[in-house]
Amino acid sequence: MEQNEIKKLKIAIAAKQFLYRLGIKTLISVIGVEPELYETNNYDSTSECLKLNPDIKYLIINQDILPHAKEAYLQKLRALCPWGKLMVIGDESIEHCPCASFMLNTNNQKDVLEKFQDFFFEPEKNPLENENTSVLSDREIEVLKTVALGFSNKEIAEKLFISTNTVITHRKNITEKLGIKTIAGLTVYAIINNYIDPETVKSK
Amino acid sequence: MNKNLPFASQTKMADVIHIDYRLIPILGRFGIDYGFNNKTVFEVCKKHDINVWFFLAIINSYHNPKYFPEKQLQNFSAQLIIQYLSHTHAYYLNNKVPDIERCINEMEKQSTDANYQNIKLLSNFFNQYKVELKKHLDKEDITVFPYAISLEQALESNKMDNKLIEKIKKQPIEEYERSHENMEVKLSDLKNLIIRHLPPLLCKDTCQKLLTELFRLEADLENHSRIEDNVLIPKVKLLEQKILETSGTE
Repeated sequence: MEQNEIKKLKIAIAAKQFLYRLGIKTLISVIGVEPELYETNNYDSTSECLKLNPDIKYLIINQDILPHAKEAYLQKLRALCPWGKLMVIGDESIEHCPCASFMLNTNNQKDVLEKFQDFFFEPEKNPLENENTSVLSDREIEVLKTVALGFSNKEIAEKLFISTNTVITHRKNITEKLGIKTIAGLTVYAIINNYIDPETVKSK
Repeated sequence: MNKNLPFASQTKMADVIHIDYRLIPILGRFGIDYGFNNKTVFEVCKKHDINVWFFLAIINSYHNPKYFPEKQLQNFSAQLIIQYLSHTHAYYLNNKVPDIERCINEMEKQSTDANYQNIKLLSNFFNQYKVELKKHLDKEDITVFPYAISLEQALESNKMDNKLIEKIKKQPIEEYERSHENMEVKLSDLKNLIIRHLPPLLCKDTCQKLLTELFRLEADLENHSRIEDNVLIPKVKLLEQKILETSGTE
């Protein structure tokens, strides 16, 4: 049996003070993340670290490492790790902050834990991936109905005014989406979803 | 110990089961009883009059799906291969199918009005499958297997009557090969209907049992058809060819 290769998450923690970084490390381990860690304590070393490790997935930055024009420098760091998720910690939020999560120094223990959990475990919202691929299109439902009722590809093509090849493509897509290959299985699926009346199947 | 082929003639029979408990039904098919003590595979097979090399090829290939010694298996007699295959058929019909039916019946009993219809659909689906499976296995037991054995016997005894030669010409194994349906696909559909498409069935324990049984039967069937398609059928083709050659009708 093949074992899943466990890949460690790469996380960079950038904060001036050692105690601060230690605190973050501890919290990460409390919520059950075992990462490969990169620690830095100023802007330049952080920027260097991101350049050397473009595959860093999570970046946690304390505002105290950012020089005065905080927003601009943050954008620069962000550009160095475009695929990573960014969390910024500070006294007050930065305008137009390019980060997924923001933590205030005044947050209490519960807030901090929750924010960390969301940061690591909430999937990133990607509009393309959110589309539910398992749902059939209207046309596919039409084809499914006729398949379930036992019509042949040629009959379906005539009924729906499409070519036999199109019917075959639809059937292939239906099977892929549903994971059901046989006509009997598709019939059960169609009945469960009220696409067809079980009585009409029996009479055929 | 070879990691991919863990079982050899000197392996302790008890270790075989400890290493892979999925082999329990296979041992059953060979008619092996427990209480092995420290006996090796070789010793146990000898006691039960089992061809130890055939046994090892079967359990090693069942254990490791990537290992399949087609050529080696084809060298065993058709009689031996068929004995194993028909024991497997009996195991499906007498054990596995009733196990699954029992689960479905249990689910029907536990069902409430809301999901009764859905369980009824599963039950009808499986009943239909059962009829097809029985028909499929019967056809092999009644026509294909005896045919293969008659070919082997004819060659061994060098008695090739015209009837047999006629049959080889008119209904060669190739004809059966073309119509040899895959019985796993429907089972996989049933699994997916439960796992993905039916609303929760509210009888979790039985449902878990049912799914486990379906996975086991499907895996066993896959292994079984692999032997039929890649060992038995090529073997029968070879026997047919040999008979036609020796009888000089080709």
